[in-house]
Amino acid sequence: MSLLTVDDVYQSYGDEQVLKGVSFGMDRGDVDVLMGPSGSGKSTMLRCINRLTEVDSGDIRLNDTLVTAPDTDVNDLRQQVGMVFQDFNLFAHLTALGNITLGLKRVRGLDRDRAREQAIDHLEQVGLADQADAYPAELSGGQQQRVGIARALAMEPKLLLFDEPTSALDPELVGEVVTVMEELAAGGMTMLVVSHEMGFARSAADDIHFLDEGRVVESGPPEQLFEQPEQDRTASFLSGLQSNGDR
Amino acid sequence: MSTVEDVSVADGVDTPWALLALAAFWGWLAVRWGNDFLLPESVAFPSDQPFVPVAPVAGAADSLGSVAGSLGPVGAPIDVLAGLFGFVAGSLPHLPALARGAWLTIVLTVAGIALGFVLAVPLSVARVYGGRGLRWLSLSYTELIRGTPLLAQLFVLYFGLPLTQVIREVPGVGVGFVPAQAFWVAVIAFTLNSAAYQAEYIRSALSSVDAGQLTAARAVGLSRIEGIRYVVLPQGLRYAIPGWSNELVYLIKYSSLAAFITVRELFFRADAIANDTFRYTELFLLAALFYLALVISASVFMNWVEERTAIPGIGGRQRA
Repeated sequence: MSLLTVDDVYQSYGDEQVLKGVSFGMDRGDVDVLMGPSGSGKSTMLRCINRLTEVDSGDIRLNDTLVTAPDTDVNDLRQQVGMVFQDFNLFAHLTALGNITLGLKRVRGLDRDRAREQAIDHLEQVGLADQADAYPAELSGGQQQRVGIARALAMEPKLLLFDEPTSALDPELVGEVVTVMEELAAGGMTMLVVSHEMGFARSAADDIHFLDEGRVVESGPPEQLFEQPEQDRTASFLSGLQSNGDR
Repeated sequence: MSTVEDVSVADGVDTPWALLALAAFWGWLAVRWGNDFLLPESVAFPSDQPFVPVAPVAGAADSLGSVAGSLGPVGAPIDVLAGLFGFVAGSLPHLPALARGAWLTIVLTVAGIALGFVLAVPLSVARVYGGRGLRWLSLSYTELIRGTPLLAQLFVLYFGLPLTQVIREVPGVGVGFVPAQAFWVAVIAFTLNSAAYQAEYIRSALSSVDAGQLTAARAVGLSRIEGIRYVVLPQGLRYAIPGWSNELVYLIKYSSLAAFITVRELFFRADAIANDTFRYTELFLLAALFYLALVISASVFMNWVEERTAIPGIGGRQRA
């Protein structure tokens, strides 16, 4: 049974139609990548899945929960769907550890010591246990993003959403974040990633969904999309990406 | 990235000698209050007597004056010194009364800012994050208070409303050193007034917290209210500290308006003594020195708070 089903989703901001009937599905353990030019609706699609943005029509299901139903408990949903942001959005007034324990204490109801233990575990997972007491301003972009990933992981989500996790990073810092993401993928985490990181897509993605103007133009495994795309639009976009280096 | 102009009166004032002078001022106040309010009369130093006897100081002023007179024009500096001693000798007898006035000024200010803060936080949150109705309500309150004179607000509460009768009935009011009803009306007025100004400072500070912070909080599963409480406010309130220092300094001085509804605070005492003795210049100069000491103390204190609560990247003076 699929973990995530997106069925004919439409979404608009004011008069501007952003998503025009997007459909795709993911099984448990899948790693899918959303690609497409800016304005194609990738980030909006992600935000619809954890209800940071509301759909106009269409259904999104997580297991047997209808995410898009008006009576869905969004706070509960968001525990199950973690999110990693382009600009990290670490809580600026809290240490790396505090960023992780806040949700553990306030949402999952753990006491201080348990929250601390688990937070340290997740920091170890992203290789930052030694930075537990550092504030975001004291960390590099790559380190901040790894804390962001640890923060999302700590809620033990069924699905992790990544919204351009490396595009705000200096090129030399991209690698450490991609490495963490590849480890997560290898560990069986279900991940939906908006990214133009070709290296990650090749090494970790099961499927790539190419979005353009609010529609899924083409879906398929990376080797198929990168080597033999069926649609001209996909081909021209991807060749542009490849000639621009790894982004 | 403060949104309010820098109000660090204490920059350059927190030098050792200035801190020493402030420590002496507060030490004297504490001893004076302890003696006058807490010690039983049988063992206390007379509460209407200055600790330093007047006669020797007055005598010194006189002898310095005559020395200056005998030296002619060359004695001018000594004459100035004689004047200073004269001022001190003239001031000493009034210090106990002014210390009592300062007590009310301080309690009034601290109560106004603290209780006002309690109101200001929900007001500002309603302004930034509330729905249309809440936003409108908060805006109306803030503009009504900020758009009318504080003195008028004091008069409405004191003369216009039956507030005094109600407070008078509260057991303990006006007994011993618990101040009478006018003081409590003033506390209410300063609370309501300060809440509006503080809400403005906090509102602009909240707006400067990046929107992604609340989004991230919600993405973790915190409700909107929890996100505001645990993520936005701890950052926004740090940004609000410079504005808050400003408000504290204003409130210390504006508390003198309470004199117009018969609260016997610092200005009221100085004014009353001046009317009795006709020594207006001396008394108001003395009152000004008290206010100056209080304002500088507040600045030093708020700078300390700002340093203490600073976090790398937020607040404190290391920020760009």
